[in-house]
Amino acid sequence: MSLTYQAVGWNRAKKVYDSVLGCAVAVYLGAFIGVGSLVQPYATAETLLIRGLGTAALLLLHVILAIGPLCRLDKRFLPLLYNRRHLGVTMFVLALAHGMFSLIQFHALGDVNPLVSLFTSNTHFGSIAEFPFQALGFFALLILLLMAATSHDFWLHNLTAPVWKRLHMLVYVAYGLLIAHVTLGALQSETSPVLAITLGLGMTVVIGLHLWAGTVERRKDGFVSACNLDEIPDNRARVVSCGGERVAVFKYGGVVSAISNVCQHQNGPLGEGKIIDGCVTCPWHGYQYLPNTGASPPPFTEKVSTFRTKIVGNQVFVDPAPLPPGTRVEPAEIPHA
Amino acid sequence: MTQPIRRAHLRIWIVLAVILYAVFAAGLSARRDAAPRNPNLNWEHYR
Repeated sequence: MSLTYQAVGWNRAKKVYDSVLGCAVAVYLGAFIGVGSLVQPYATAETLLIRGLGTAALLLLHVILAIGPLCRLDKRFLPLLYNRRHLGVTMFVLALAHGMFSLIQFHALGDVNPLVSLFTSNTHFGSIAEFPFQALGFFALLILLLMAATSHDFWLHNLTAPVWKRLHMLVYVAYGLLIAHVTLGALQSETSPVLAITLGLGMTVVIGLHLWAGTVERRKDGFVSACNLDEIPDNRARVVSCGGERVAVFKYGGVVSAISNVCQHQNGPLGEGKIIDGCVTCPWHGYQYLPNTGASPPPFTEKVSTFRTKIVGNQVFVDPAPLPPGTRVEPAEIPHA
Repeated sequence: MTQPIRRAHLRIWIVLAVILYAVFAAGLSARRDAAPRNPNLNWEHYR
């Protein structure tokens, strides 16, 4: 057996998404350079291009960072989430072009290697107004490169989801570096208040949305949607990822119980076993646990964690906080079972 | 798996909110007045 990966699994939605994105970037750059050449006729084309690419990348990063909390607050934003990776890669390309043009414009005309010049031409680390802000942009670009290069299912599967997610959470470090890069760089020499106001607004929107979405979720009772009742066969389980642990949600005798998916014997997958004689039976070696307590029937002493469950309509909810192994939990009754 | 990550996100954004606004405020307060434009100097002539 083999598994092949396509660079992009193109479908109509992705083509529309990317067409709109490409057009928006082109229109933005055209408008920025066009208006910029009128408002600032003394600015060179190279300068306008560098500024246009930089602001386009920063604007796109704000959009990318806003999509996550928007989707958590309102499901209607979900279509934006499906191809967020395309936005990320586009943003990286814009940022890379900005960085490359800047390196050529400001560091390539001397007799020192441009990268060496980048880190040695300004060493005013103690000054806010003269801080070597370009180095901040360089490190942010490195993080964005790492993220863009791994924005593919191949890396998601090979790095595993937790590692991939942690890697991509570096975007927050990159965002911080870029805010500092702009604040200590372009903002220091920019006489118009437009950039400062826009950056302040952008930060407020992104930070506000994340804090809002996070606060709303903390107010909930802790239960998360696990699966539909129909998805669990009788006397068997459905395994869900919940609270950092794999949880086996069993349906039996008109009720539902949830226990840890990991057998205490040799870490066998309890959720792949079935209920025999009223006990969850591990498919590997037959170790058994009572589904409502997570404890092996006497005289055995093995115990696994249990989870609180509830049923709303056809939906099974699980509290992701594991209870101490062997804790009795009242099973959730299936209505009209 | 989702809930711990979301709690981590919230904590990260609380920290980021403090740091980023501090950097932003520091950067704005450190700005100096740029030299006024010299009306007798037209950069277009030097292109």
